Amino acid sequence: MNVVEDQVIMEVTNLKKHFDMSKGFIKKTKTIVRAVDGLNFKVYKGETLGIVGESGCGKSTTGSLMLGLLDATEGHIYFQDQDIAGMTQEELRKARRDLQVIFQDPYSSLNPRMTVEELVGEPLLVHGLASGKELKKQVSELLKLVGLREHQMKLYPHEFSGGQRQRIGIARALALKPKVIVCDEAVSALDVSIQAQILNLLKKLQKEMDLTYIFIAHGLPAVRHISDRIGVMYLGKMVELADRDELFEHPLHPYTHALLDSVPIPDPRLRKEHQLIKGEIPSPSNPPPGCPFHPRCPYAQAKCEIDMPEYREILPAHFVACHYPLVNEDTNVLPDIKKVK
Amino acid sequence: MNNSLLKVENLKVRFKTEDGYVSTVNGVTFDVEKGETLAIVGESGSGKSVTSLALMGILPANGEVYEGDIHFEDKDLRNLSKKQYRELRGQEIAMIFQEPMTALNPVFTIGYQLRETLILHYKMSKEQAQKKGIEMLETVGIPDAEKVMGRFPHQLSGGMRQRVMIAMALSCNPKLLIADEPTTALDVTIQAQILTLLRNLKEKSNTSIMIITHDLGVVAELADRVIVMYAGEVVEEAPIYELFENPLHPYTKGLMASIPKIHDVVDELYSIEGTVPNPADMPTGCKFFPRCPIGDIECTKIHPPLEYVSENHAKRCIKV
Repeated sequence: MNVVEDQVIMEVTNLKKHFDMSKGFIKKTKTIVRAVDGLNFKVYKGETLGIVGESGCGKSTTGSLMLGLLDATEGHIYFQDQDIAGMTQEELRKARRDLQVIFQDPYSSLNPRMTVEELVGEPLLVHGLASGKELKKQVSELLKLVGLREHQMKLYPHEFSGGQRQRIGIARALALKPKVIVCDEAVSALDVSIQAQILNLLKKLQKEMDLTYIFIAHGLPAVRHISDRIGVMYLGKMVELADRDELFEHPLHPYTHALLDSVPIPDPRLRKEHQLIKGEIPSPSNPPPGCPFHPRCPYAQAKCEIDMPEYREILPAHFVACHYPLVNEDTNVLPDIKKVK
Repeated sequence: MNNSLLKVENLKVRFKTEDGYVSTVNGVTFDVEKGETLAIVGESGSGKSVTSLALMGILPANGEVYEGDIHFEDKDLRNLSKKQYRELRGQEIAMIFQEPMTALNPVFTIGYQLRETLILHYKMSKEQAQKKGIEMLETVGIPDAEKVMGRFPHQLSGGMRQRVMIAMALSCNPKLLIADEPTTALDVTIQAQILTLLRNLKEKSNTSIMIITHDLGVVAELADRVIVMYAGEVVEEAPIYELFENPLHPYTKGLMASIPKIHDVVDELYSIEGTVPNPADMPTGCKFFPRCPIGDIECTKIHPPLEYVSENHAKRCIKV
């Protein structure tokens, strides 16, 4: 890993995205969906920052905001000292040379009427970086990089399997030699054996091309495998962010703990009763007062129903938003905060 | 083996396409015993879902079983009339799907759909069916069951819909429940709830469960016995502990090695090279050979048979 500590490549401050879903003309019902509701985090150069959470937690909206695909309601997204949130279309277009994306379903994100050569070459052509023979040469190099063969250049997306299509999507994202790639559920739709191929490829490319990844996914094992640090989102908020091993081994937020506990372990000897969290995620249009997790939290106290916990660095490089974080039983590092119940 | 509830022998299913027939299930043999949970594992294109559709007699119009036998208790399912099959489905074999939204009728309330099954199969009165329906919803852990009876499918969350599906499937006390990727579309905390529900169900009733999944985590959580499918064939069969401790087929081994482990982080994942072959263009000999790390020329010549290495552990490979 070539993570350059302290070299921040992106920084998100107080980022919010609210969607106005108000209905009706005469009898207006005002509904605001708080998809992303006050995020603060940094992305370091060369790292993979994983963002996990369940449906509706706002992780994909966060990705779109960071790419400038959505306008922020409030807050800033700094990328190399420029604020993406305030950019004009023209400025955004330039920034996207350094900021690319890989989507979940390469079939719906690749134009079915374009050949692989056209698809992978398009970004280079649009940005006026190559044409003619040079373009062809670069496209064939890109294909080689992602493990496709030169003779596949003239084929169309439907002639490829899911894993190969994802490789085309990756080649396209790499074409402009970006600095940051947002991977939005990039391996979620793939079979396990293919998922492993793509995860390995992403890791290899990161080393070779000095890339920074923001890896958004709901599949925790894959996120743990690829990330250096992981942030956990719940109802539009970051509830915990830490180094991946720290997060998996000593989660401080009860939600993180429950989420990790829910993952089925592929080993029948470890079969156990899950610590189930009751209920379901509340609607982001009507979030509960206080801590967004309190209605489902097994440790919730009166304070949690009223006060929104502050997102703070409770241990070095370990951020959490909880009034009563779980105690690390091995080291007992938080002696002043008691585990309740 | 006299305890078997469902017996599938040499099942072959093909689909009619523009280019002629394509066979996607090529001689599958297995049985499900009373009270056991059997998992069928495989990736896309392995034929695992088509196998379950064939058992239920609900293959798409262009698909057909063209060889093999399916016996459920003493009934030969291939010789059932449409009417007999319909009676069997719901009453004796029930099925739940990955996306309950496609299986529930969007224009009727949950209550109507639950009552319908009970009235049809048990000739219950509407009041009796309503009472039984509420009871079923409560069994699967739905709060406010009475209210939910009056709701439409779209008013429920994904996890709730899956619970309703399970309630519906269980309402006639089926002997066999076929669950096709029942938790794949759900969030992980909801998945844990549904898996716990299925596990408790097995403990309480004597229902046999046949779970079809690509997720070895789900398999490890639920199954007593596992069948691994690849390219329309069973490549390995073993009891759960045996399979995870001593996998034999290179595909099973590869599958296990390629899943990222939550508690055991490696730098590079093992990966099975290449992709599942196209059913219209299957390799001769062993179907896994093009992706196999240990295969050699011999494997291209013979199609390996499924061989038992012990009483209940079988593999389709000549190299192990």
